[in-house]
Amino acid sequence: MPKSAAFDLDDVSVHFGNGPALHKVSLSIAPGEAVAFVGPSGAGKTTLLRLLNATLRPAGGCAAVDGRCLGEHTSAELRAVRARIGFVHQDLSLVPNLRVVQNVVAGRLGRMGLFASLRAMALPSHAEAERVHAILERVGIGEKLYERTDTLSGGQQQRVAIARALYQEPTAILADEPVSSVDPARARDTVALLTRISREEGLTLCMSIHNLELAREFFPRVVGLRRGQVMIDAAFADIDDAQFNKLYELTDNELLADGA
Amino acid sequence: MARSPVMRATLAIPRRPPPIRARGSVLLAILGLGVWAFLALDLTWAQVIPTAAGLRQIGEFFSYALRPALSYQPGEVPDGSPSLLVQALLSARLTLIFAVTAMSLSVVIGGVLGFLGSTAWWSGDASGSRTAIGRYARRTVAPAIYATTRVVITLMRSVHELIWAVLFLAALGLNDLSAVIAIAIPFGGTLAKIFSEMIDEAPRDAADALRGAGASGAQVFCLGLLPRALPDMSAYALYRLECALRSSAILGFFGWETLGYFVKQEWENADYDQVWTYLYTLLLLVVLVEWWSSGLRRRFVA
Repeated sequence: MPKSAAFDLDDVSVHFGNGPALHKVSLSIAPGEAVAFVGPSGAGKTTLLRLLNATLRPAGGCAAVDGRCLGEHTSAELRAVRARIGFVHQDLSLVPNLRVVQNVVAGRLGRMGLFASLRAMALPSHAEAERVHAILERVGIGEKLYERTDTLSGGQQQRVAIARALYQEPTAILADEPVSSVDPARARDTVALLTRISREEGLTLCMSIHNLELAREFFPRVVGLRRGQVMIDAAFADIDDAQFNKLYELTDNELLADGA
Repeated sequence: MARSPVMRATLAIPRRPPPIRARGSVLLAILGLGVWAFLALDLTWAQVIPTAAGLRQIGEFFSYALRPALSYQPGEVPDGSPSLLVQALLSARLTLIFAVTAMSLSVVIGGVLGFLGSTAWWSGDASGSRTAIGRYARRTVAPAIYATTRVVITLMRSVHELIWAVLFLAALGLNDLSAVIAIAIPFGGTLAKIFSEMIDEAPRDAADALRGAGASGAQVFCLGLLPRALPDMSAYALYRLECALRSSAILGFFGWETLGYFVKQEWENADYDQVWTYLYTLLLLVVLVEWWSSGLRRRFVA
């Protein structure tokens, strides 16, 4: 098991009901790399992240994690791949009426049997509680270990979601707009935390992010998406404002379309 | 300026919707059905006015509301019988025991059938089944189990507990088990229906997140979905316990010695003061259980 994951997309297309969500995307992300995904709403950033998390199957092309196309995996192998990829969701996706420790322990279900996981969720062992606490300390909310998750503030709940991903002992972290669920003052902390931990652990980090200033500050490489296609894939330093403006520029048709 | 499609779009005023559309006509039809039902029954105002004898009986009955009996008349019951208040408490105890036993059974029935009757356990993750057997199970077997369960649930709850009681009286005789099963079947069906809907309506974000972390279908269901539905499910089960108390009391009309048995008996004896004794006992029992369960809900569910 490599310490950090490599992603290779080759001519990958994804279709939803009303047309392509990703169209012939080719992209290589090296182990330990930090990449920011930018682009207007509906450009395919979340779809791309879900593809990397092996929860979407491409309609065409090869989406490979650590060199092996996802289409070749059995469902048990797919679960093993997912178990090593931490995902921080935009809506956090925690169970609000469970304790913090239970939400974090849930990160490792992918490597436990059903009965072992029921036991771990109902009665976390001393060793499990200590591991969870160490991770919570690292994201700054160690004292919340046994609190009910919905009693925490939005920013603290985001830390729980990050802790759950870290408890997976992941080889990569995927974060979908982590900035949008907290206020601007916390946003920078969140991005800083995720990039710092990924660097320290040598994890591959992919983050979709609307805030270009934050992306520029923390990520060496940027991938710009528009209408399911990769328009920009370069070092941040090599991209000027005009190119970003073009990425976000709306056509008349897009202005008229509902919620495009 | 005039060539801009944006400007053109804002110039056109949206057409006003017609005043009565689909929803309006359905409402009108339901109203019409209600009027028709009244006419079909041939109700007259004369029926609303009670007869003199009926009025006297009702008046006498309510006159005892403020003075319920606290003991039997001398010589009314054989020596050695329990006193009236003890008898009331004994029947309240049996009412409660029937209700609690039936509800315990219903929760198990409702839990199992509620799970099988929900769509959450089979309609979720299409990428999960990669083998032909897996796909067959997901596309054919699972929907068949689901549909069968929904039919069974509907059959169970479309027959009232009193009718189930009549059936089980005939089949098993007047024993405690037939009373408990008579309540447990329709209550189990109702719990199954509501549980399955609560499971299907629970937010799936956490479940999707666990699937993304490699959790299996069973783990996703038990640890991502069920915990979000459980508070509502428990609150509803507690509410149904109150309903079960009333049903258990009414089963007394068929001969089990719950509160309803004595209400019916004393009504037929025209001992209205004793009828009130048992009615107040039932009221007390329901209020106590309601007080207890609302306390539980406040502490654990809110």
